[in-house]
Amino acid sequence: MSQLLQVIINGIALGGMYTVLVLGFSIIWGVLGVINFAHGEFVMLGAYTAWLANDQLGLDPFLAAPLVFLFMMMVGFAVQKILVNRVIDRPHLVSLLVMFGVSIILSNGMKLIFSADFRRNDTALDGSWQLMDGVTIPVTKFFVLLAALGIVSALSVFLQRTRMGKSIRAAAQNREAARIVGIDVKKVYAITFALCIGITGAAGALISPILAVQPFQGPPLTLKAFAITAMAGLGSIKGALGGAMILGLIEAGLAIYISGIGTNLAVIASFVILVVALVLRPQGLFGGLRPVDAMAS
Amino acid sequence: MRPHSNGSERPLLEVQDIYAGYYVGQDVLKGVTLEVYEGEIVCVIGPNGAGKSTVFKAIYGIIPVRKGRVICGGREITNIPPQQALQTAGITIVPQLRSVFPQMTVHENLELGMYLTKDKVRVKERIDYVYDLFPRLAERAKQDAGTMSGGEQRMLEIGRSLMWEPRLVLMDEPSAGLAPIITKQIFEAITRLNREIGLTVLMIEQNARQGLAASHRGYVVEVGRQTYSGKASELLNNDNVRRAFLGAG
Repeated sequence: MSQLLQVIINGIALGGMYTVLVLGFSIIWGVLGVINFAHGEFVMLGAYTAWLANDQLGLDPFLAAPLVFLFMMMVGFAVQKILVNRVIDRPHLVSLLVMFGVSIILSNGMKLIFSADFRRNDTALDGSWQLMDGVTIPVTKFFVLLAALGIVSALSVFLQRTRMGKSIRAAAQNREAARIVGIDVKKVYAITFALCIGITGAAGALISPILAVQPFQGPPLTLKAFAITAMAGLGSIKGALGGAMILGLIEAGLAIYISGIGTNLAVIASFVILVVALVLRPQGLFGGLRPVDAMAS
Repeated sequence: MRPHSNGSERPLLEVQDIYAGYYVGQDVLKGVTLEVYEGEIVCVIGPNGAGKSTVFKAIYGIIPVRKGRVICGGREITNIPPQQALQTAGITIVPQLRSVFPQMTVHENLELGMYLTKDKVRVKERIDYVYDLFPRLAERAKQDAGTMSGGEQRMLEIGRSLMWEPRLVLMDEPSAGLAPIITKQIFEAITRLNREIGLTVLMIEQNARQGLAASHRGYVVEVGRQTYSGKASELLNNDNVRRAFLGAG
């Protein structure tokens, strides 16, 4: 019984982490139609920024996260201005390859500057709380979960209620129609991309006490974001949350119940989910802004 | 039939001998001229690939006009971007392809028709106005647009195009992809709007017979230029037009 409770707690905590990690990726894909293969590298940049803020200024990663958000928003704005905007109307493969190139440049560039050493970014919010006999709550992950829920709520309100949010949804659902009613689609894309990279960078700051900061931490995170997004539906916030929770629970369950190889199985789990979702339910479990496979609409 | 036929007044829209295309050196339109008077429904017919939709894109500033002029209400609007076509010339467009925002409610779709204004009171007034014209939309206000039938979505698109209180609405094949009975309803709605609120419409129709029947005047566009023009009733009876486009032997 206490073991099941522990699985659920670990799963939800992991799910919170995956939620912040996947939001930016999912919305960029859903709104711009760009598969951001440098997603994990933007997480990594955010993590390094938070590590530097801690190392140089003694700023706790949870306090640094809002600053990292602003900084990475500017990075995102520059990247879309210089690169993404130029390939946005071309087939998906073009932007995917461009972002793949960006990922390699960023990871190897960061290795040149900071070396491949693993960095630890410590937070005051660590350790674990004893809930009952044999059941603990990981403190850092708990606060990441809180932050994730905060970001999810803020983003939902922004997209549902504000004029800018509505224009983002409109551009995602029907690019041509958005132009017809006078929405400046290029501007919408610029703001969306910047916002999402900001969130992604903040995610990097938030998970920097959990995952070691290093130049090559990106690719597995990109692939995980890809799996969750494809499973849950592109650009859907509740999909990102739901998909992240499902994956978190599955991984936590596998790790605890199947001793020995469970941790390895957990890595495989997300990709089994990805493959199954692409074949059986290309519109995503939760229905996104657009189908993963445009032909399936 | 034609409301302003005294010939003395200036047309609302004047397209003067325009040349335009998608690629440099490959003009799809090679000298199209047409006029639309206030309060008129004008229908452009012609075979597939003749450049009918291209005429609209040129008027609306989606593709560049290389030669010739577009004038609306006496002001030159050649090559102004879509946003300005909307704001300064008061032209709205109902495109051929589905243009609703499928995962937004009918109400949100209408709101977005006035995206360019921040005057919330005005938006509310206009939505009520559109609901009066299309009570069906009022019934479906909270429904996601994508879950409605094709005919209802077309109604919504037309309703949304009216939000901005346009002087002129361009409709690209309003009957496209609709069942015959729904097509009939759409044309009835267009003529009703014309009668009730004096709506000026320039439409393209593949369905030439029904399109002309709902219009005051018509133009035939073939291989990038107009070949016939006249009162809709005359075109419907013109032997050449009938043979080519109306399926009459």
